[in-house]
Amino acid sequence: MHSILAVDDSISMRQMVIFTLESAGFNVVEAVDGQDALDKARKFDFDLVLTDQNMPRLDGIGLTKQLRDNPKFKDTPILILTTESGDAMKQAGRAAGATGWMVKPFDPAKLIEVINKVIR
Amino acid sequence: MRTHDTDTPSEVVATIHTCMTLVAAAELQDNLIVAGNDLERLQGLLDDASQSLLTHFHGARQHMNQALRDTETLTPFDDSPVREALQTLGGAITSLQFQDMATQLISHTKQRLRNWADRLAYDTLGDEENDIGVIDDAPLRPNPVTQDGMDAGSIELF
Repeated sequence: MHSILAVDDSISMRQMVIFTLESAGFNVVEAVDGQDALDKARKFDFDLVLTDQNMPRLDGIGLTKQLRDNPKFKDTPILILTTESGDAMKQAGRAAGATGWMVKPFDPAKLIEVINKVIR
Repeated sequence: MRTHDTDTPSEVVATIHTCMTLVAAAELQDNLIVAGNDLERLQGLLDDASQSLLTHFHGARQHMNQALRDTETLTPFDDSPVREALQTLGGAITSLQFQDMATQLISHTKQRLRNWADRLAYDTLGDEENDIGVIDDAPLRPNPVTQDGMDAGSIELF
């Protein structure tokens, strides 16, 4: 079973993401912000990281940069799921090493489709 | 602010004008603060509504999962009605993300209102006699939430 790290500071968003991913058969670990995600990424292995952008302590782009510096996550797909739809922010995500950019709100079927496309 | 017997008419007019400007600024500042407080109440209402919806959502999901398990013992076996119900419930997920988006929108707008109220106080009343305190920072960027509906957003793979 694939394991996914779901990162969002909004509890309602985490619940929606977890419901969607678990219904599709994924194992999900949740993190409340980028720093919490980094701590969990040091302890566990994940097949994919799905992260929000705007979060306290460490945002999604900062998290992506730090994960890419860790050889363990060099090739792990990282999807940023955010309200931000501006090109500049999207390009910053790409430069940081994100695999994809998804604008909220997400459609459950499309989210699963994208994850199945990029997950190894 | 006072006028004196020795003031010229134009000095009196200028003093009155300054007083009126100060009253208008104070009133505007009050209105900005009230709007900020109203947004805070709106945030509370949204949080309550969202929590209640999510509780019911998860309750319904648990009942349906149980019903799905129960159908396994039925003869003839048919779990399609429950699966359809679960799929319908899953369709609410896109809309249920409103709380996160509304929270970001409200937070940004509140910060902007607070900054304007502080700047107004500083520009009109800020002097050595009136300690205005620290001005809250203005939002550094435009509002991150540009969506005006709950249709699913775009997806781009790099």
